[in-house]
Order: sequence, then C-alpha cells, then structure tokens
Amino acid sequence: MPGTRPPENPPMAEKTYGLIATFDTPGALLRAAERVRDAGYRKWDCISPFPVHGLDAAMGVGRSHVPRFSLAGGITGFCTGMVMIWYMDKFDYALSVGGKPFFSPLFAFPVSYELTILFTAFATIGGMFLVNGLPMHYHPVLKYEHIRRGTSDLFFLVIERADPRYDAENTRALLEGLGGREIAELEG
Amino acid sequence: MNNPGARKALLVGVAGTAATALGILVSGPHVVATSWLVAFGFWAAAAIGMLMMILIWHVFDSSWSVVLRRQFEHGLAAFPWLALMLLPLVLASWLGQGDIVWPWMNPLHPVHGDKLVQADVLYEKKEAFLNIRLFTILSVVFFALWIWISARLRKASFTQDSDGDVRWTHRNRFTSAFGIPVVALTLTGAAIYWFKSLEYHWFSTMYGVWYFSDCMRGALSLGVIIMLWLHGRGDFRGILKTDHLWAIGQLMLTFTVFWAYISFDQYFLIWNANVPEETFWYNIREYGDWWYVSLFLVFGNFLLPFLLLLSYRFKVTHATIRRIAYLILFVIFIDIAYNILPALKDEKGNPLAFFSVRLLWSVTSLAGVGGFCVAAYLRSLPTTKLIPIRDPRIGECLHQNE
Repeated sequence: MPGTRPPENPPMAEKTYGLIATFDTPGALLRAAERVRDAGYRKWDCISPFPVHGLDAAMGVGRSHVPRFSLAGGITGFCTGMVMIWYMDKFDYALSVGGKPFFSPLFAFPVSYELTILFTAFATIGGMFLVNGLPMHYHPVLKYEHIRRGTSDLFFLVIERADPRYDAENTRALLEGLGGREIAELEG
Repeated sequence: MNNPGARKALLVGVAGTAATALGILVSGPHVVATSWLVAFGFWAAAAIGMLMMILIWHVFDSSWSVVLRRQFEHGLAAFPWLALMLLPLVLASWLGQGDIVWPWMNPLHPVHGDKLVQADVLYEKKEAFLNIRLFTILSVVFFALWIWISARLRKASFTQDSDGDVRWTHRNRFTSAFGIPVVALTLTGAAIYWFKSLEYHWFSTMYGVWYFSDCMRGALSLGVIIMLWLHGRGDFRGILKTDHLWAIGQLMLTFTVFWAYISFDQYFLIWNANVPEETFWYNIREYGDWWYVSLFLVFGNFLLPFLLLLSYRFKVTHATIRRIAYLILFVIFIDIAYNILPALKDEKGNPLAFFSVRLLWSVTSLAGVGGFCVAAYLRSLPTTKLIPIRDPRIGECLHQNE
C-alpha cells in the first residue's frame, strides 16, 4: 500500500513472500516446473534469462486472455467509427457530396476500420498491462541477492506463500527433491 | 504408371474434361469455354500462389515452412499442365471467329450501343495491347517464366537432398529475389489478359492484386489440406507440429483480410468516382441472382473465414482448419466465377443468371483441370524425399515452437 509504513517487527511468517530455488539448466527448470504443476500449486512462477520452449505447457499455463481485450476493442472501434460518421453526416452536418447519400456504410468503412485497428491496439496494450498487473515497480523477488543472475545464466523457480498448498517445510522438501539449489525464503 | 493416386486423379481429369466437352451440346461453345476459364483461373491461382509463397519463404529465410515448401515444390509440377489447359481456348480463338471467350478478339463482335468492336473507340485505344497475337505471345511468356523459375527452385531443392550443399539454398534465395517481381508482374499481366479483358471497357488498378490475393489464399488452403492428408496417411506423424498449423492459419487470416481490403478498395473507389466506364462492371454484378453472389462474397469470402480464423483453437484443430481450408477454396472459386461468368450476356446485354445448368460446366471443368493438376502433384510427390532433409533450416522447422 503506498503511503503506509510496514508495522514494526512483524512476525517472520508474515514477512515471507515465498520460496525461491535455483536451477542450473533450462532442462532442470522444465522438469521441476512439470512436477510443481503436477503437485497442484497455483501461485508460482519461473524466472529464466530467455524463453524456454515448452515451459508454458510444463507450467500448465493456458493461452493468454489478451486477445479477448483485442476483440472487444476492435468491435468498439468499428462501431465508434460507424456511429460517429452516421451522426455527423446524417444529422450534425449533412452535406451532399456528388449526389451520394448522406450516410452510407461504404464511405464510413475506411474510417471505421482505421478505428478498429486503433482501438484494437489500445485494448491489446491495455489488456496486456491489466492481465500482467503492470505497471509493477516492485516485486519481492527483486530483493533476492542473486536475482540478477536470472537475467544471465541461472534459472529460478518461486513458489508463493499465498498458494493454498504452500507449507514451509513440505514445499522446501519438494523443491529440494526436484534438484533445486540454494533454496531461500523471500522477504515479503 | 505405378502410382494409383495419380492415375485416379488423371481419370478424374479426363472424365471432367469429357463431361465439359459434352456441355458444348447443351450450352454451346461460348458458355463452356468461359466456364473452362473459371476452372483454369482457379487452379492457376493455386499454382501461382504456391510459386509466390516459395519465393517469399526463401527471401525471408523462413524456417517454419520448410516441410510445407517441399509439398509446394511438387505442386509447381502443375504449370506445364495448366499451359496445356489454356491451349484449347487460345487455339479455338485463333481458328474460330475469335470471340469464343474474349469478345475483343472478333472485330465484328457487337458492343453496347449498336456498335462493333472494331468501331469502338475504347477498343481502338487499347488495340496495341488487346490483340490476339500479343495475347498468345505473352501467355506463352508468362508460362515459360513460371515453368523456368519453378524448375530452378525444384532442381536446387531436390539436389540438396543428395549432396547437402548450402549453395543450393543461396541459389534459391537469388532466384527468389528476382523471381518475386517477375511473378508479380506476370500474374498481373495474366489476370488482366485472361480475366479482366473479358470486359475490356473496364478499368481497375486493383485487378492484379485481387488475383494475387486469391492465389495466396488458394495455395495456403491447399497447403493445409496437403499437410493434414499427409498426417492422416502417416507420413507427417512427428513432423507436423501444432505451430505449423498456427503459422499457416495466421497467413490464411492475413490473406483473408488482404482479399477484403483489395476487393473493398476496388468497389469503394469505383463507387466513389461514379464513372460509367467503371460502374457498369458492378452494375451487371448486381443484376438478377448475381446480387446474391455479391453478398455471398462479402459474408462468405470475408466475414465468415475472418471470424473463424481469429480463433487460435480453430487454427490448430485438424478437423476445423481443414473445413476452413475447404470453405476458402470454395469461396475463391465463387469469387473467380463472379469475375468471369457475368461476361456471358443475353441478347439484351444483361449477364446470364448464375444459378442455371450452365454452372455445371464450371464444376465439371473444375474436376477436369483439377484432375490433371493433382495428378501432376501426385506424380512428382514420390520422386523426392518427403521433406528437404538437408535444408539448413530443417532442424528449426522440425522443432517449431512459438
């Protein structure tokens, strides 16, 4: 919460964000992700310096919801263009051009379809920000001291404490069993 | 010929051609020859689209398409057959009165306003281009260039299977860099000569691009059908990935939008300018049942495939994308018929109706020309490896992942 200071000396468990484990190869991360997925965890993530092929499926992540925003934006844009030109040319400033009707979807089409593209683009970017929870200026994993190596040569798997299946001991044991190194608690 | 599939296709071709020839007894040579042109235009579009697609893939060094490219290379084997399919129309124009298909080939053909072609000022202005000699020469040149470029692409790709030399890839890239403008110009010239000149009063700078969009849609849809056929037969098991279908589905969506863009542009500019030499072309296409064909094109050729292809799931589900591919092939056939068949006029100058027994000859021609083209593809298919095993991009293609 912006503007609110954290309480003094909160209990340790309250401050924990989750557990982070380190993997050395994309293959190890992929296999670990499959097991975490199969163990039924929901709130967890993988950190990799580059896109790992097949990681989406290994994590059980479905397809993005952004296209729905795009479609809604496109339909809105098309209707906006049509209604705008219909109102302007038929009522607000009716002008006879070359004996054409005051309104026809034909000449409203180029503008409507430009607006379709424009609104689709806006909705896609906006929808992407929304589903990703952007802008996000801070994330607990940034406090992890080796996190920068997740942008160069190491792979991390983070399980959040907010996950219903999270249990400090069992989850740590699971990550260890998957070959994760240097398992650490992240500060919340 | 030890190739039962090709033999069957050839039989379909012969049967379709024979049925079309019988149509002359029912509907007369003018109607049947024009119907043959519809089918020829459809299959030529598919072959030109395959050629263009291969050239584009080489120029962009595309990796996902490598396994499909081999199938399109086999498809290019249809060009000599297509040249043979056009031959009867050209021969009949030379030997008969001239206007068996293209009215301007007969100087005594009546045109609107109780005139003859030879006295028509719009014909006189275009006579340097619209004469049967240049038509024949350029048709030969178009096919010669397509066959030559196809042969270069096929030879380089097929030889690479045995020697694995990367120079063949470089050579194909070179062929493609000059091949794209050559094929773009020749397909535009061909569309203007073979189809647009049926109503030579008309102007449209969009026409070549319109035909190009049908070429691409036809080739891509056939690509989907071929890949799924090979997958069903077992050949493409383990080769065909979800992402191949996703990629080709996106291109199908692109060219569906592209077709709509081109077709709408053409209509919109003519509607806006409102010049009689241009509007008549659309006026006759709103006459009688052609009005419904026009509307079908708006909704069936654009809106329905557009909405279906927006979906990721539809693009990667075998049964669904196959149906969409057949739908697109059907609608571009109607689109080509819409561009050609209204050139058939009754004695008052109105276009003959779309729904009639005449439509049958377009369908038999479709089987006729198609049978020979498919036979050419099937005869070429077993002559090489199934996929270009030593193409530098084959590894990337087989591990295709979004």
